[in-house]
Amino acid sequence: MTNRLVVCAELLLGAMVYDAAAQGYKPPRTADGQPDLQGIWEVRTSPDKDLEKAKGVIVDPKNGKIPYLPAALARKKENEKNSTSADPLGKCYMPGVPRINLLSYPLQIFQTPGQIAIAYEYIHNWRNIYLKRDKHLEAIDFWQGDSIGHWDGDTLVVDVGDFNDQTWFDKAGDYHSDALHVVERYTRTGPDTLLYEARIEDPKTFSMPWTIRVELHRSTQPNARLMEYECSYLREVAGKKEGK
Amino acid sequence: MTKNSALVVVCVGLLLAALPAVAHHSFAAEFDASKPITVKGTVTRMDWVNPHSHLLFDVKGEDGTVEHWSAECLPPNGLYRQGWRKDSVKPGDEVTVVGFKAKDGSFYMWAQSVATADGRRLFSGRPEDRGATGPEGPPAPPKE
Amino acid sequence: MKNRRKCSLVVMAALAALAAVPLAAQDTPAGVPPEGGRGGGRGGRGGGRGRGPAMPPPGPVPRTSDGRPDLSGYWNAGNNGGAVFEVQKHDAKSRSLPAGQGAIVDPPDGLIPYQDWAAAKAKDNFDHHLADEPELHCYESGLPNQMYRQFGFQILQPAGYVVMNWEFMHAYRIIPTDNRPHTLPASTKLFQGDSVGHWDGDTLVVDTTNFNDRTWLDSAGNIHTDQMHVVERFTMVNDRTINYEATIEDPKAYTKPWKVAFSFNRNAQPGYETMEFACNEGNTDLEHYETTEGGKK
Repeated sequence: MTNRLVVCAELLLGAMVYDAAAQGYKPPRTADGQPDLQGIWEVRTSPDKDLEKAKGVIVDPKNGKIPYLPAALARKKENEKNSTSADPLGKCYMPGVPRINLLSYPLQIFQTPGQIAIAYEYIHNWRNIYLKRDKHLEAIDFWQGDSIGHWDGDTLVVDVGDFNDQTWFDKAGDYHSDALHVVERYTRTGPDTLLYEARIEDPKTFSMPWTIRVELHRSTQPNARLMEYECSYLREVAGKKEGK
Repeated sequence: MTKNSALVVVCVGLLLAALPAVAHHSFAAEFDASKPITVKGTVTRMDWVNPHSHLLFDVKGEDGTVEHWSAECLPPNGLYRQGWRKDSVKPGDEVTVVGFKAKDGSFYMWAQSVATADGRRLFSGRPEDRGATGPEGPPAPPKE
Repeated sequence: MKNRRKCSLVVMAALAALAAVPLAAQDTPAGVPPEGGRGGGRGGRGGGRGRGPAMPPPGPVPRTSDGRPDLSGYWNAGNNGGAVFEVQKHDAKSRSLPAGQGAIVDPPDGLIPYQDWAAAKAKDNFDHHLADEPELHCYESGLPNQMYRQFGFQILQPAGYVVMNWEFMHAYRIIPTDNRPHTLPASTKLFQGDSVGHWDGDTLVVDTTNFNDRTWLDSAGNIHTDQMHVVERFTMVNDRTINYEATIEDPKAYTKPWKVAFSFNRNAQPGYETMEFACNEGNTDLEHYETTEGGKK
């Protein structure tokens, strides 16, 4: 009985997560032996517009629909109607996770033995992923959550908790409560590709967890660097222009 | 001025009014270091925001009127490092807030410490706690 | 918020209550490391802050596997004479600024060698436009201002880079250390500029160009233009001190280059972490400025 459960679980997991070992790409290593995910990466599609409409992004459930609880679905539709004014990104707020990895602005990953850091061009956001802590901080919440990571073979697994309820997943009003819990998986799939998966669970909003999968591409220009997208500055400039 | 441009001017004005303020001289600009006060009231809300969190509490005056007070506290990270948690003070809690009164005469103060009815004491700023409050900190006990 | 109605309050002993607030060794909940303090400002330093056993004497500079000084860790800016208020020597200007020496070591008088127009603009900023302080608008601080911003920063040193991340505004600087040239066109102007670095012995030399003119040098309204060029030298001298100097030139704003110098002190509190800093998401302080501050009221 136990064996069947184990096999069943493995099949389910296999359906949901990318099997790095089976695909055969072995990434180079950092000096301290971590798979090297470093570099400047960006999405080349636009999943941020609408996760459900972005082809192939929601890989679980198979129908590609976010499994909202009924009351939550009503609120999503309300959000979507008011998206232009209500999208937190429109107020230059922090995008949250996983949305921050899905925007059309590059990110840069840095790795050190105890900590992985991700710098974002979008409003100079920053995430620290702590490899030596195994518990989330208590009784506090963050826009981008609290990230603790470990290696599963060549995949970086990041457990993100301590979310507030203020961010959206996309421009289409997909949202969550402060019970949100995200498990990310970062896997090199080739010299210039990085596969990003995020399993999203929030029992206050969704009837079951759901998973997205997006490929990020390396920026290969020589001397590539993150630029600056300074949302509040651009808003002020635009406001001043209109005021004249 | 056309109606549209007037509307835009108003909108820009509102936008500016909503800007966060992180000026590090803000303490001296807003609060009177020579006017330490202690106020007791009932918590209505706590906003954990930058640059300063706010503890909102109601004070019943002797004449039965209710004053809506706001106490400015450390930024969220400062509070957390002082031991505050999101559930440290909750709406309905009776609190005693020690701090400095606002210069503009409103029901507004800087909170040095917050004591709860069940005997807990939470510190929001101490004169030498530069690290948590930033260089401007709350001042040392007034000398001038 | 601005209720001017005078009302009777339930107010208890003022000074007595204030005196009763314990100053030094607080009960800090277990597992919550107290904030590391730093010098600067009113010269407050040591005493009262940092709990636990006295620190052992400084040790040798730690090194990475390629033999370079290992700058990684959490750092606080120290002994900069209140540069975050005003980078140049300053008197206590009534309401807002404590007096301080600032961080300028050249010229010897400690003052920014402004061209006349720039001095006038800086004065106008202080007198009338403190509400335009870039940090009020959630901007990054540029240079050298970012280096003496409050709440400290973390340095990470992965291969080929020195990366700095401030808690304040979650600002960052990414400095490649492979001596690459500047490649951005002059028309690209950035808040943090474009930094390229290389090691000169044990000193990290960082050259930064391509600034915009949207940042101030401090909170008092001192300015630079988009022609600013900054060369910094980071020299770690023991296991807990990095000496810092920056030469600032800007032919549009200043009559000659000038130099700041101070040091970073390690924040060695176990378990210390940078925390998220959400800026645009908060508000309301500006409402309480008095009009004399040049703020909006």
